Amino acid sequence: MSTISTVLAVVGQVLAVAGGLTLLLAALGLLRFGDVYMRASSVATATGVGISLVIIGSVLLMPGVADIVKALLAVALQIVTSAVGGIMVARSAMLTGHRFRPDTTGTEIRDARGPDGDP
Amino acid sequence: MIGIDIAFACCGLAALLAVVRIVRGPDRGSRIIGAELLTVTVVGLIALGGVRSGSTSTFDLVLVATMVAFLAAVSFARALTGGAR
Repeated sequence: MSTISTVLAVVGQVLAVAGGLTLLLAALGLLRFGDVYMRASSVATATGVGISLVIIGSVLLMPGVADIVKALLAVALQIVTSAVGGIMVARSAMLTGHRFRPDTTGTEIRDARGPDGDP
Repeated sequence: MIGIDIAFACCGLAALLAVVRIVRGPDRGSRIIGAELLTVTVVGLIALGGVRSGSTSTFDLVLVATMVAFLAAVSFARALTGGAR
């Protein structure tokens, strides 16, 4: 094993562990937070970074041009879509009347809802 | 490969915690967010397990699973509102 591939393997494993810890942190937030919206923000913000780090770390361990292209495509797709998916779920939760935690300071998007009932 | 094993364990534990949230509820929104996290952790498990076993078609699966995870999130959001936008 040459030097460069050893370096790539070490960097890849560090990135994969960082991504795994990020996903674990998202799961802890999902378990500990108090209402749907806090849980949605925890999952939607952490999964984009976490899964990107895991995929990049994995591809550094077995590098090849086709694999790198596929991994970059998957990472770009994941970064773009994780935020969109989280926002869609939180918006649906709001439309179906899920409650905020009682000490939430601002829920005024309810009041800003348009005349046709679409926020 | 010890780093890959640690990351695999972290992803597995995250998937387990997501299942705990799905089982415990308490409302439908929380269950759906748990399912979202479950799909993402399964994508991570596919990537890490494929590298661990030296499979050559790992990243095809990862790419497809990423797309399916997004479609699943959109479908969950639609299912939560009962089909309305």
